[in-house]
Amino acid sequence: MTELAVLPPDFAKEAAIMEKTWASKPGVIGWLSETGHKQIGLRYIVTAFLFFLAGGIEAALMRIQLLKPENHFLGPDAYNQIFTMHGSTMMFLFAVPIMEGFGVYLVPLMLGTHNVAFPKLNAFGYYIYLFGGLFLYTMFLLHAAPQAGWFSYVPLAGPQYSPGKGVDTWAQMITFTEVSGLVVAVELVVTTFKQRCPGMSLNRIPLFVWSMIVVSFMIIFAMPAVMIASGYLSLDRLVGTHLYNRSEGGDPLLYQHMFWFFGHPEVYIIFIPGLGFVSSILTAFTGRKIYGYTAMVSTLVVTAFLGFSVWVHHMFATGLPQLGESFFTAASLMIVLPTGVQIFCWIATIWSGRFRIATPVMYVIGFFLVFIVGGLTGVMLASIPIDWQVHDTYFVVAHFHYVLIGGALFPLFGAFHFWFPKWTGRMYSEVMGQISFWLLLIGFNVTFFPMHVLGLYGMPRRVYTYQPGMRWGNLNVLASAGAVFMALSVLTMIINFLVSRRAGRVAGANPWNADTLEWSLPSPPPVYNYLHVPTVSGLNAVWDAAPDQPYVTGMRFDRREILITRVLDAEPDHTEQLPGHSPWPFVLSCTMCIGLWGAIFFAWWFTIGAVLSGIALIGWFWPSDRELEDHILREKGELGGLELGMPEPVREEMP
Amino acid sequence: MTQRVLDVAALTEGTADSRSLIWWGNLAMLAIEGTMFAMAMATYLYLRSTNLDWPPSTVPKPDLLMPTINTVMLLLSCIPAFIIDRASITKNMLPIRICQALSIAVGLLFLYIQYAVMVPSLGYKWSSHAYGSVVWVIIGMHTLHMVAATGETALLFLYSLFKPVLKKHLLDFRCTAVYWYFVALVWVPFYFIIFIEPWMQRKGS
Ligand code: HEM
Ligand SMILES: [Cu+2]
Repeated sequence: MTELAVLPPDFAKEAAIMEKTWASKPGVIGWLSETGHKQIGLRYIVTAFLFFLAGGIEAALMRIQLLKPENHFLGPDAYNQIFTMHGSTMMFLFAVPIMEGFGVYLVPLMLGTHNVAFPKLNAFGYYIYLFGGLFLYTMFLLHAAPQAGWFSYVPLAGPQYSPGKGVDTWAQMITFTEVSGLVVAVELVVTTFKQRCPGMSLNRIPLFVWSMIVVSFMIIFAMPAVMIASGYLSLDRLVGTHLYNRSEGGDPLLYQHMFWFFGHPEVYIIFIPGLGFVSSILTAFTGRKIYGYTAMVSTLVVTAFLGFSVWVHHMFATGLPQLGESFFTAASLMIVLPTGVQIFCWIATIWSGRFRIATPVMYVIGFFLVFIVGGLTGVMLASIPIDWQVHDTYFVVAHFHYVLIGGALFPLFGAFHFWFPKWTGRMYSEVMGQISFWLLLIGFNVTFFPMHVLGLYGMPRRVYTYQPGMRWGNLNVLASAGAVFMALSVLTMIINFLVSRRAGRVAGANPWNADTLEWSLPSPPPVYNYLHVPTVSGLNAVWDAAPDQPYVTGMRFDRREILITRVLDAEPDHTEQLPGHSPWPFVLSCTMCIGLWGAIFFAWWFTIGAVLSGIALIGWFWPSDRELEDHILREKGELGGLELGMPEPVREEMP
Repeated sequence: MTQRVLDVAALTEGTADSRSLIWWGNLAMLAIEGTMFAMAMATYLYLRSTNLDWPPSTVPKPDLLMPTINTVMLLLSCIPAFIIDRASITKNMLPIRICQALSIAVGLLFLYIQYAVMVPSLGYKWSSHAYGSVVWVIIGMHTLHMVAATGETALLFLYSLFKPVLKKHLLDFRCTAVYWYFVALVWVPFYFIIFIEPWMQRKGS
């Protein structure tokens, strides 16, 4: 397919047809039937951000409670619920889904395609995530929240020590969010491998997309483990299996192994997209190609592999055999190497580029500072004697907040500011952006740095209060004061975005002069993304484009047709038609709720839900008449690829 | 200035082979399900390593005849699956229909034998001990997959009787065949641990 033609650039008619082909449907049912990736991606982002606010309120409640010794603001029970809700919300309902949301929104744009590979599945993933989260919060408001921490260790979470429905709710929320994670992973892998625009060979895939690919593979191999682990937990609690019951031959450590086989990669699933944001932002703000692209991609892959071999470092205090522990220490320390390479590549990029300062890069610098501290305490914790000393103390709480907030939240906030103009078409206020950055950086360190010291002084995590004689009071006051600054930072950011969305300066297509394909589109992008599938001739698609960079013609505008290219070199291979909007993903997620929520109360609901889901699936796959007609015509060869008259192609050699 | 374009009007619409999106989606799904089965296997081996008495001495030596027939039958059913796969390439509907009917029959018979003969003769329940739990979990997981594979084949079979068979359905046939291989092959190691292992020297005895 290297035919080239000359074409008059008069696209208004095509654009109108495309608009109609890809448009959303009106009304509530239309909203529930939506399958466009930008819509679904934004829904993920907004929903996850709301859960972040909920988790933040829970954090604030904890900080109020810990303000002074012997405080009675929250009782022990409430405190247990709150820290469990906070941890579970932040990990499962905020950090992972928001990264997925960015992937769903950005990956098809960066690849130059119209939608993700399986649009209905994509919508289903969103609803199942939403329902999982709403279920957890509904039960929380009904005073049936889980209380066994974000990892619900057995035997504490088992039938004997956690009566009630809290842990069952937690386990079901896990199933829901992991199904959603898996769905997005499959989407992104297939979309990236098959739908890249012509010219985007593997070595021209933007680093953010690579990070999402690596994350997706990690999800595919990690999330089943936690689904099985939490599934066993439900079975032990609901139907009387003994998988974790030592007295009947089960084993609580089995749970820990399976949980952390997922749990460590989970942390990478959270921060590797952050690394992708950092690369995107740095490329734009230094105006140069990222230094060491190949090294960046390969270290991402290496990190992913190593990430699967270190889970036992979460279990050093369980008395595993010495040799095994040493192995896991060594593996954990090795992770420093690929991360170090990445950081040096970024530094080299900054060093040799023309560095500009604006809110997104400031967050990137914040990421460097905070994440490196988290990495350093991580290296400390990988050595077993230190781990034993500070295990289950605030030192660990400090460590993982440095890693999570440094590695995920800072890049994420940077990404919010970076892509805000693309989503809304307007610029945020730079002054407010910088204020919110400084509030976060200062507030964060004031909150969490003292926790290192508190941990060394012996303050255990997950305690609702402490005695005055422990002398932990001052540092806790400091920590709580810092949290106020963090809250102000988030508030500033929200106000900034809400105001700028309407009143900001008009951004134009590419306010940052950034390099990836989405910046070649108007802001916000049209429903169909690209009128013509673009082609690229370099890693930095926008910068490397020739003035007459070819685009693809010969595709239908009146059908949701996408171009499938080959995996390695992205040469055009064939076209496929994507399904349109459909209410069935929503219906299927409802029937799954019936089955899985019902099963908590009465096992037969599971069967009822399964049957209903089977019916929903038939509806899902039933082809519409129009689809059928099209297929029949095409089989008979009566329907060509073209609807609109195209001028005769003028053949030329592709350079 | 002239604008160069890359004209793709001559490309085919849709393929029924490994280049299509659905094919890749199917493989990704199998990777996920394969990981789940691997986890179930890991559970079994882990509990086996932490128990001194495995299988528990109360577990009777299972009757081998029916489970073996069932397993062999399931393995043989890969042949009709293979024929469906091949015949879909040339859209040869007769062998496809025959083999689909055969697959459905095997699927139903397998499930029947599993639940009418084999499960009742196990001699323990999921709630008897951890060994029972893990065996029942494995059987349950596999049953869900077996039901899915059989149901999918049945739906495609019925659909193609009444509605025109298009390229995308041929692709569905082929993906279902691949799924069928997966469901059949994944059962084999579990057959060995559930039915053969109790006959071997027991750990602890
Ligand atoms: C925004 C400011 C935040 C504050 C002030 C905060 C505060 C806290 C505090 C005080 C605890 C410890 C409770 C205890 O052990 O007694 C905690 C636990 C935790 N936090 Fe945060 N946190 C924040 C953000 C986050 C974020 C962004 C994440 C993840 C992305 C996160 C994940 C966790 C997890 C996983 C736990 C452990 C929960 C458990 O012990 O089960 N936090 N947080
Ligand atoms: Cu870890």
